Amino acid sequence: MLRGGSAVNLRFVAWRLVGGISVLFGVTVVTFVIAHLIPVNPVIAWIGRGASVNPQLAGVYIQRYHLNSPLYVQYFYYVYGLLHLDLGFSPTKGEPVMTAIFQTFPYTLQILFFTMIFVVLLGIPAGIIAAKYANKLPDRAILGFYIFGTASPPFFIALVLILIFSLILPILPTGGSVDPLLSVPNAITGIPMLDALIGARFGVFLSLLSHVILPSLALALTLFGLLTRVLRTNMLELLGSNFVRASRARGYGENKILFLAFKNSLVSVVTLISVLTIFALVGDIFVEDIFAYPGLGQYAVQAALASDYPAILGTTLFYAFIIVIVNVVADLLYAFVDPRIRYGQ
Amino acid sequence: MVNDKLASIWKILKFNAETKLGFSMITCFLVTVIVEIVGGYRILPYNPLIPFAGPAFSPPSLSHFFGTNNIGQDIFSQVIAGAPNDAMISFFVVMTALTFGGVLGAFAGLKKGVVDEALMRVTDTFFAIPAVVLAIAITLVLGPSPVDVMIALAVIWWPPYARLARSEALRISNLHFVESAKLSGLRTSRIVFRHILPVAITALLVYATLDIGTVIIVYSGLAFLGLAVRPPYPDWGDMVARYQPYLISSPYMPIIPAVIIVIVATGFCLLGDGLRAALQTERGS
Repeated sequence: MLRGGSAVNLRFVAWRLVGGISVLFGVTVVTFVIAHLIPVNPVIAWIGRGASVNPQLAGVYIQRYHLNSPLYVQYFYYVYGLLHLDLGFSPTKGEPVMTAIFQTFPYTLQILFFTMIFVVLLGIPAGIIAAKYANKLPDRAILGFYIFGTASPPFFIALVLILIFSLILPILPTGGSVDPLLSVPNAITGIPMLDALIGARFGVFLSLLSHVILPSLALALTLFGLLTRVLRTNMLELLGSNFVRASRARGYGENKILFLAFKNSLVSVVTLISVLTIFALVGDIFVEDIFAYPGLGQYAVQAALASDYPAILGTTLFYAFIIVIVNVVADLLYAFVDPRIRYGQ
Repeated sequence: MVNDKLASIWKILKFNAETKLGFSMITCFLVTVIVEIVGGYRILPYNPLIPFAGPAFSPPSLSHFFGTNNIGQDIFSQVIAGAPNDAMISFFVVMTALTFGGVLGAFAGLKKGVVDEALMRVTDTFFAIPAVVLAIAITLVLGPSPVDVMIALAVIWWPPYARLARSEALRISNLHFVESAKLSGLRTSRIVFRHILPVAITALLVYATLDIGTVIIVYSGLAFLGLAVRPPYPDWGDMVARYQPYLISSPYMPIIPAVIIVIVATGFCLLGDGLRAALQTERGS
């Protein structure tokens, strides 16, 4: 692919992976410390109120999690459990935390996917228009719109959308993940929309799709400003650069020049992927809460409200895991599109 | 020198319409907060906690500017009464983060080497957990009262400040006056407090202005989820959550407190943006 680049590439990849793993270890320390600062007897915290009526069960837990051993031994077994995908048992769900996460996360993925589509659909045209009419009325209007979006908590936009779509324009459902009368398709990939498509159940697919639009749109409206802003700044920088001046001198039309600037700004957009994904993951927590969408965010909030400690620590760890992966992938992607990163400084 | 800097920032503030708008929004907010702190519930048109100050579900009118809620409490009074809470939490969180992160970052940037590496790995770890998620986890340890949430947010809010102070310290530490301070044998702590931080503080404060809006959004988000506050303490995020069931029948109930949050956050955003632009112009980049 690149002349003599493979060795450097491998080192870069390895370095990023080591960085990601070390961060994950840091995160396990944080969650472990939090778990030990919880002002409740850990046995009760981990198995719920059943502990007091069932001392035998409590004994099993003490033994299983080595609660009578020194802290570093407990930490060792904690990490050992994590490596075996054991995040503990969630009393509120009545199943292992890992199972609950695997059930809820696909729904969150659906929201994230459509959020990104909306962010691109809104953010890129807005960025191009803002750059084309820099400091004129369209630019100002876009600026106002995205500052308002960025400064809005996701729950505000969600409420406004619900209001609009249930009072004025009742075409989209404003809660849940699928029409309750339809049965969810058999799990093949685990992602409901994909499963519905694979099983050729288009009615279910459309229902799933219509339920995901509003939550994703609410989230995208708070996020697209970031993309617009970076794209605008980069395009303006390029529009003032020598190669654009040269293209102008060659007699290229304004639209062609704009396209050139846009194409060369795309690298900067790639760096935003990780930031946008992380912001979307966080905003998703609120959006799911409002739209009663049964994803990971809703699970985390319900666990917090019910003091389901294993679930909270498990979801925290899972969020960190996803973010570390997103960061590493984004870095590698960035190195892939921009060789300057790949080759050292 | 500092006066010159302030003057140039002020000049840019003056001819930028957005920044001016942000500045006036923040001024209104701060005046409200101060008046409310000084005057207490007495200066409000109605006591925000007393039910049936008016008929329930009455829409905004002259006697109730923002209408009344399901038990006839005056929403305008509640909004004003909730202002100091958000202001104090956001200022406390940002100031704590700025102090702690600023000093730590400045040390790391000046010392370089192992200290620097270790700090960067720690901030990496904090960056990997979304603030909201970590705040939820920490609230478990502490409890859901506003003070506990404030502490939880302060604990997790410092890493960006450490990063920023570090990069500023790296930038400054190559300049002659820091070099000569080092050569003259000053202690590191003295160089940090006397030479690095006074220069770095401008960038940190600009970031902090933008950040106050973010803290308000995150805090009201936690309150909205029911993880931050116990009713009937008037709080904006909590009000939005409690009035959400009436969204369709009485939209003004949840929308008004939400709009107030948006206005305050927008104000800090606009002001912070303007200040950042001013700082960049001042540095000539």
